Amino acid sequence: MAKMIDRQLLKLLIILDERITTKNHFFSQYHTYLLDTWSTKKQMRLDDLKAAHAKAVCRMAYRMHVHCDDLDQEIEQRKLTIEEKFKWKHKALTQTLRRKNAKYPKKSNEHQTWFQAQEAHLHSLKLKRMERVVPTFVNANDSSVASQESLGAIEAKENAILSVKEQKIEAHYARKIASLNLRTEKKRQRLMLWEKKIKDWIHTIYQRNPKDDYGLGEDIILHVENLTMRFGGLVAVDQLSFDVKQGEIFGLIGPNGAGKTTVFNCITKFYRPAGGKMIFRKSPVDVIELNDYPVHRIVRQGIIRTFQNVELVWELSVIDNLLVAAHSRFHTGFFGQLLHIPKLRHEEAVLRQKAMHILERLGLLAYMNAIPYGLPYGILKRIELARTLMVDPKLIILDEPAAGLNDQETRELAGIIRDIRDQNDVTIFLVEHDMGLVMDICDTVCAISFGKKIAIGSPKEIQANKTVRDAYLGEE
Amino acid sequence: MDRMMRGINRFIREFKAIVKHPYFGYVFFGMMFLILLLLRNQGWVTISVINTAVIVMIYTVISLGFSLLLGFGGLASLGTAGFVGFGSFLMGYLHGVLNYSLGVTLVLSLSVALAIGLIVGFISLRIEGMYLAIITLGLGEILRQFFISYDTFTGGFSGRSFREFTLFGINFVSGDGKYFNMVYIIVVIMFVLAMIATINIIKSPTGRALLAMKNSDSAAQSMGISLIKYRLLAFVLSTVFALLGGMLYIMHTKFSYAPQWNLSFSLEILAAVIVGGAQSIFGIAIGVFLIFGLKISVLNYIPFFQANPALIVIFNGALIILVVMFYPGGLIRLLQTLKYIVVKRFGLLKQKWRRYRYGEDD
Repeated sequence: MAKMIDRQLLKLLIILDERITTKNHFFSQYHTYLLDTWSTKKQMRLDDLKAAHAKAVCRMAYRMHVHCDDLDQEIEQRKLTIEEKFKWKHKALTQTLRRKNAKYPKKSNEHQTWFQAQEAHLHSLKLKRMERVVPTFVNANDSSVASQESLGAIEAKENAILSVKEQKIEAHYARKIASLNLRTEKKRQRLMLWEKKIKDWIHTIYQRNPKDDYGLGEDIILHVENLTMRFGGLVAVDQLSFDVKQGEIFGLIGPNGAGKTTVFNCITKFYRPAGGKMIFRKSPVDVIELNDYPVHRIVRQGIIRTFQNVELVWELSVIDNLLVAAHSRFHTGFFGQLLHIPKLRHEEAVLRQKAMHILERLGLLAYMNAIPYGLPYGILKRIELARTLMVDPKLIILDEPAAGLNDQETRELAGIIRDIRDQNDVTIFLVEHDMGLVMDICDTVCAISFGKKIAIGSPKEIQANKTVRDAYLGEE
Repeated sequence: MDRMMRGINRFIREFKAIVKHPYFGYVFFGMMFLILLLLRNQGWVTISVINTAVIVMIYTVISLGFSLLLGFGGLASLGTAGFVGFGSFLMGYLHGVLNYSLGVTLVLSLSVALAIGLIVGFISLRIEGMYLAIITLGLGEILRQFFISYDTFTGGFSGRSFREFTLFGINFVSGDGKYFNMVYIIVVIMFVLAMIATINIIKSPTGRALLAMKNSDSAAQSMGISLIKYRLLAFVLSTVFALLGGMLYIMHTKFSYAPQWNLSFSLEILAAVIVGGAQSIFGIAIGVFLIFGLKISVLNYIPFFQANPALIVIFNGALIILVVMFYPGGLIRLLQTLKYIVVKRFGLLKQKWRRYRYGEDD
């Protein structure tokens, strides 16, 4: 009885622990997000300030008949725009004249005089506008200004003002960042306290009932032992065992109907296996048995999968699809979502930025706001890959990633998969029919036939293996 | 002068920010209905227009819950009428007969909604699609029979009438002008709140999870979306909206009659959601107006339809057929297309005018 209570308590505590770790994760992410946005904002303000001061110095210089390129350019630009405007006005005038002439051909002389008067008026207007373009201070009597101060002195004065303003902005942001740090530190400490408490409780329970570490080797991330799956009388997977090492690309191959997808579905708990162990290294110190978790909590343990035929949400844009994948990263409750509290908005901002980074990395930024319906198949497959990266997984399970792609797209995909493995510190486990891809990227290949393992080893060994050839091509 | 211009520019900028806020449209919609009430009190608008407005608002609240279920969760239900009826009788009995306060009635009704939603949600875990619709249809019929036979609660065949309600200690008795105005204002507030709640749910992880669930169960589960939680949530939400709609209904009409909550009402709600556009809030309001409001405000005054009331149903049927054939996304798609055409046409006109005014470009 006590053991059962302990087990239930442990389950609850583990859920709490997961929640607190996601919360902690979010706080650190939000912190960096705010720092990022603030630094860009600060830079923008500083740049604006500098530009304004440069302009002011320029004006001062102009007053002393020292030519300044920026101001010259600006005046030139304004003159050009006025020219353009008056060109159109003149054109409209000629058009009107033509229409008047067509309508009342007898009065063409009158029209001509009217036109000349209008033209003269326009010309005078244009001259007036042109005069106003060059700032009045250029024409003013400026000898007094020049005698009072030299240009260098003015510049020095302006620069002093600039530096004071810059310091103000810097101080403002420094204060902001300091207060943010203080707040996050407080929150983090509170969370750390709770995390420590929960860890202690879990530890005491483990002391009472020692935790099984299943004898998993240090470098192994997934250990499958005697996995069996039956559908009625059919044995789809029969006593299958293999190990997936940390950081490798592991390929599972086999002829049609060999039970490859069934193995995947067992690992991600879509099927409840009839027998066998599946042991997963969640973190260097934490080893779990996947049979203890329901299907929707597998993703929180760090395993995410893709599907053979692309399963996206067709009504949502690509970036929203990535946010769907990040569902387990949101920890605002239902009523918080109903009221759209700031916490939810912050989470959304952080995750949206992360999704943008991922899309940028996979070259999908152009499709960010597109609806996936009708996009090319290669792009859809890549969106699925991007989706897996949203949850920072430890193990990515790819179900036939190259199905339906042409050679060019397959080559690109191989590059992307390798890139993900190298940069994100993940292990990749894939099923594939495209032998070129498997032999190209996999470190270890496991061949199965009718649910039984027939060979495991490096791609070269598998290629040379006679049993595998027999399974694919039939015995002679 | 310069300073004034700067002030005006700032005002325009802030005004634009307010207008672009997603809630603005809904609050504006509610304000329009309140202005309608003012016009009525001035005597410039007939009573049938006001009745139409109230009915459209109440049924939109119900349809919004239904769209969360059908348009987002992908779960079909035909038990809406039963839930609406339940809400109306709860209000009529608890507040009207037993004189419970409005808050207690609300809490009790919400707990009833929660219970019903959980029951139907658990059923939906096993059954999907058409079969779920049939099961919920059966549930609706059970509720209807229950209303008819349990007459201390519902008044049986004579119906449950509702004469007054109390809010903040003030008694509103039907018959004086205040009652009608108060109910109208409450309905408008609930209508706007329901729309805002719906948009908040749609634009949050919950709404996305519901959509993911509709597209593919297995993909949703692999991304950490628990089917049990979100199916139950969808049913509970739709039941809560339906019960609230029923409560508003009995407050407005002062009468609820058991046989009225039959299958045809559920089907009409379904039709409204499909005609308007199952995933658009304004679309649903349009759909409800076409299915329910048009009958009350326009068709009942046309002599041809007065002579043959059965043809109104045929009119609705034809409308549904046309919409599903030509605009499967609902009539809101038609409006979007029209807007696009107008914008394009306007752009062309502008170009043409320029060419006319300034001559051919060289």
